[in-house]
Amino acid sequence: METFTDNILAVLLFTDLLLVGMSRLSGCISLVAVQGVLVGLLPLFSPEHVNPRSIVFFVVVCALKGVVFPVVLSRAMRSVNARREVEPFVGFGWSILIGVGILAFSFYQAKQLPIPSALVAGTMVMPAALATILIGIFLIVSRRTAVTQVLGYLVLENGISTFGLATVSGIPLLIELGLLLDVFVAVFVMAIMIYQINREFDHIDADRLSTLKG
Amino acid sequence: MQGTSIIPYLLSLVLAPLALGVINRVKAVFAGRKGQPLLQAYFDIFKLLRKGAVYSRTTTWIFRAGPVVSLGAVLLSLTMIPWGGFPALLAFDGDILVFVYVLGVARFFTVIAALDTGSAFEGMGASREVLFSAIAEPALLLGLVTLARLTSGWSLSTVLPGVSTATWIMAGASLSLLCLAWMIVFLAENSRIPVDDPNTHLELTMIHEVMVLDHSGPDFACILYGSSLKLWTLGALLANVLVPVRTGSAFIDILATIGGVFALAAVTGVIESTRARLRLLRVPHLIAAAGALSVLSLVLLVR
Amino acid sequence: MNTLGNLLWLLIAMPLLGCLATLFLRSSRAVLHIVSWGVPIISVLSLGTIFSVFDRAPVFTSGEWLLLDALSAFHLLGLYIIFSISSVYAGVYFSHEPKEQELTLPLARRFGALWFATMATMALVLLSNNLGIMWVGVETTTLVTAFLICLHTSAVSLEATWKYLVVCSVGVAFAFMGILLIGAAVESPGGVGAHVLQWSEVVVAAPNINPQLAKLAFIFLLVGYGTKVGLAPLHSWLPDAHSQAPAPVSAMFSGFLLNMALYCIMRYIPIVEQAPGCAGWAHGLLVVLGMVSIGVAAVFIISQHDLKRLLAYHSVEHLGIIALGLGLGRLGVIAALFHTLNHSICKALGFFSAGRLGQIYGTHDMRRISGALSTHPTWGVGMFGSILALIGVAPFAIFMSEFLIIKAAVETKSYWVLALFLAGAATVFIGALKHAVDMSWGTPSQSVRPQKASVAERALVFLPMGALLVLGLWMPPAFWNFLEAAADVLKVPSP
Repeated sequence: METFTDNILAVLLFTDLLLVGMSRLSGCISLVAVQGVLVGLLPLFSPEHVNPRSIVFFVVVCALKGVVFPVVLSRAMRSVNARREVEPFVGFGWSILIGVGILAFSFYQAKQLPIPSALVAGTMVMPAALATILIGIFLIVSRRTAVTQVLGYLVLENGISTFGLATVSGIPLLIELGLLLDVFVAVFVMAIMIYQINREFDHIDADRLSTLKG
Repeated sequence: MQGTSIIPYLLSLVLAPLALGVINRVKAVFAGRKGQPLLQAYFDIFKLLRKGAVYSRTTTWIFRAGPVVSLGAVLLSLTMIPWGGFPALLAFDGDILVFVYVLGVARFFTVIAALDTGSAFEGMGASREVLFSAIAEPALLLGLVTLARLTSGWSLSTVLPGVSTATWIMAGASLSLLCLAWMIVFLAENSRIPVDDPNTHLELTMIHEVMVLDHSGPDFACILYGSSLKLWTLGALLANVLVPVRTGSAFIDILATIGGVFALAAVTGVIESTRARLRLLRVPHLIAAAGALSVLSLVLLVR
Repeated sequence: MNTLGNLLWLLIAMPLLGCLATLFLRSSRAVLHIVSWGVPIISVLSLGTIFSVFDRAPVFTSGEWLLLDALSAFHLLGLYIIFSISSVYAGVYFSHEPKEQELTLPLARRFGALWFATMATMALVLLSNNLGIMWVGVETTTLVTAFLICLHTSAVSLEATWKYLVVCSVGVAFAFMGILLIGAAVESPGGVGAHVLQWSEVVVAAPNINPQLAKLAFIFLLVGYGTKVGLAPLHSWLPDAHSQAPAPVSAMFSGFLLNMALYCIMRYIPIVEQAPGCAGWAHGLLVVLGMVSIGVAAVFIISQHDLKRLLAYHSVEHLGIIALGLGLGRLGVIAALFHTLNHSICKALGFFSAGRLGQIYGTHDMRRISGALSTHPTWGVGMFGSILALIGVAPFAIFMSEFLIIKAAVETKSYWVLALFLAGAATVFIGALKHAVDMSWGTPSQSVRPQKASVAERALVFLPMGALLVLGLWMPPAFWNFLEAAADVLKVPSP
């Protein structure tokens, strides 16, 4: 089972790198959806194997992250007539380099962290989670449009769930679902905000929201 | 020097231009054309060999030496490729580095020959070639390091045969990323779509073809043969990883690898027919992505 | 005792009922009425419930989901005070809005529903014993309050809302990572099982948890919840949101939202401090972050021109002072808790005044506000008094709590901290006093007409100010005991 977890996490890292280098917004949205489903798969291969809890979780995650989020986000993107490119502050070449740097850092840093090996299924969990979190932050700060900031937030959240699902076994289902619900509402609220910002400004460039200073 | 080493080498020398033919045939089938004969590359080479060469007055001996030295370098690099799990003609510890740099020498001479003409077009092509290969080289090298780490050897003749179905099961994620990275390197190094269009006739967008515009006759034959051999060499490298048939019978194993190369050629044909060439500005991103994938595959292995 | 404890669910249920009620009302006036009458009534009922339950503290209910101890009771007290006065003020404030910004029915419903919902989620955060639920509550407050900021849709308010949403969501996500790490730290030695995130159990298990993980967790928690607290340098959303939100919302944000987030951090202090070899570690971090906040806020306060932004930076400063106090031993914690309440009341008053003066002058630009004392004596006094109190003028209660913090600093022999704190406070004192004097005296511009104050307005100004004065001059012994009990939850040893 550990190899399964490791392989899922390897694919997760692969999607991280793709995200950093992806220039089409719709492509990014589907990649984030794929990531979400991958994260949902993790509990199925946890040490306790398949149980009702992990199945419920998997179904909810697939429905939310795999279907609802992409639909909400693509509708937001389309209806505000956003340009379909990601428009980074940091060029794609640099982005990829930074992505690789983040990867190396995460693997290095994860070794320093004192996570007891008994807790973690496989050696990949900590580095994968850390890398996904950092890539999420990088996407938030380095991309121009509001939609990509939401995507960055989701990637960040995926990284945190990766860590949570793979390490802390004692989290009740209720809290995991609460967390998901919160993320769901957050995405929804942000999508509404994107509509409103677009109506008011005729653009959704987060970097041009800079009237307020000091 | 055993037959299992020399025979595949000689076979490669003969079969290499056929891979070009396969690519072209696949493209023709996709386009619904009949296409050129499979052996067209051979015809071209023989035709060029019979012709005389024209040299510009501004060129020096470098221009004449370029194609020959490049061909020689590629021939040398091919000697280091093992076939079907059996050692290569030339095998020593550390030859994975030599392999990469011999290929580098081949490129270097093509480039300076192009610069020697003093033409703006050739210079432009040369600069692009150098830029792209500078990004592609780390990807190739890191991939080799990954394999070296996986099989704990520093010679192509121990590294590539070390890849078997067992290694694939053990490090599948890492190897698939590696193959993906090398596929991109393969396309970039051989100037195929989506990096470069070998059939283009617009100098502004050409890379490899524009560098060799001024060569003619036997020189151009060397270049044509050299590039087909390079395709074959890199194809063999990738096929050794992708088709790890290790039955122990020399005939079957070597044939599997050669089959792998032809399959790669066919895949290249499919890619060329279904994809468009990338904008020049985007090409470095693609190759850098290959580098990133190589890093990831190495990291997954080392962690 | 659990049967009595079940009453605590009422604290969450009552505001939710209010939230539902607002959705069925037919006029914006009715919505405002139900807000300004309903919230104080709910508050009185809730406080009654709390103190009848509190006698038998701590109380757990329903599978230990809810916990009421002195610390949460103290914060609930602050919550209900702030919400009550802010709700009454909301009625006053929205009835004075200029024509083009008048509250239409949908807007009023939105305000009312979100207002009650915020109250319910905050009560949930303060009462929950489960660290995960507490996190869910905090993230929910972010989402619920987001649309309160852009109640009046405009370019700048949307900008502020977007920043608030993104910065706080991302920040609070970090806090979740911290919670997971706490879970990992607890699970690693032997495992507490299914209750790995129950605060009451974690705090008991704390002496045996993995110290390195606990430290790492606290960094994540401090960054995460610290973003929502608005501790510098994580405060970027705070001045924008505070300045663009309608005044009652700013008052609630500054008066309680920030404290609620700091309360979440407080819950982790005993856990991390008790971990083996970590004593003093969390305290040190809090002191550093507190000092940075005071320094950053001081710089921005001097160069500020917008009244509401000025008050917002005061929040950064005072939350920094509270964080500082939390790191300075038992007396420091008591002082910090006392300061929490004083700051909330005072800051609410400040935003009330800023809101009404803004309506009267048509701007929040301090360079265009002058002669406030003669234009509208009541709110002028409110503004001047609240800024005086905020900068720590005796005999207001804030002076007392800051004095206690200084005493705590001397007690713990942190003289460098003391010096830096005094320097920061002095800078703020001079900077803000100049702004306050300029606005209060001078001749008002021609276009501004003096206005009469209603009874409610007078009460809103003089009751909080009176409370601050009384608390500054006389500390009721029962209240002091209450503060001590709350501070003891943090298990800080006296030096």
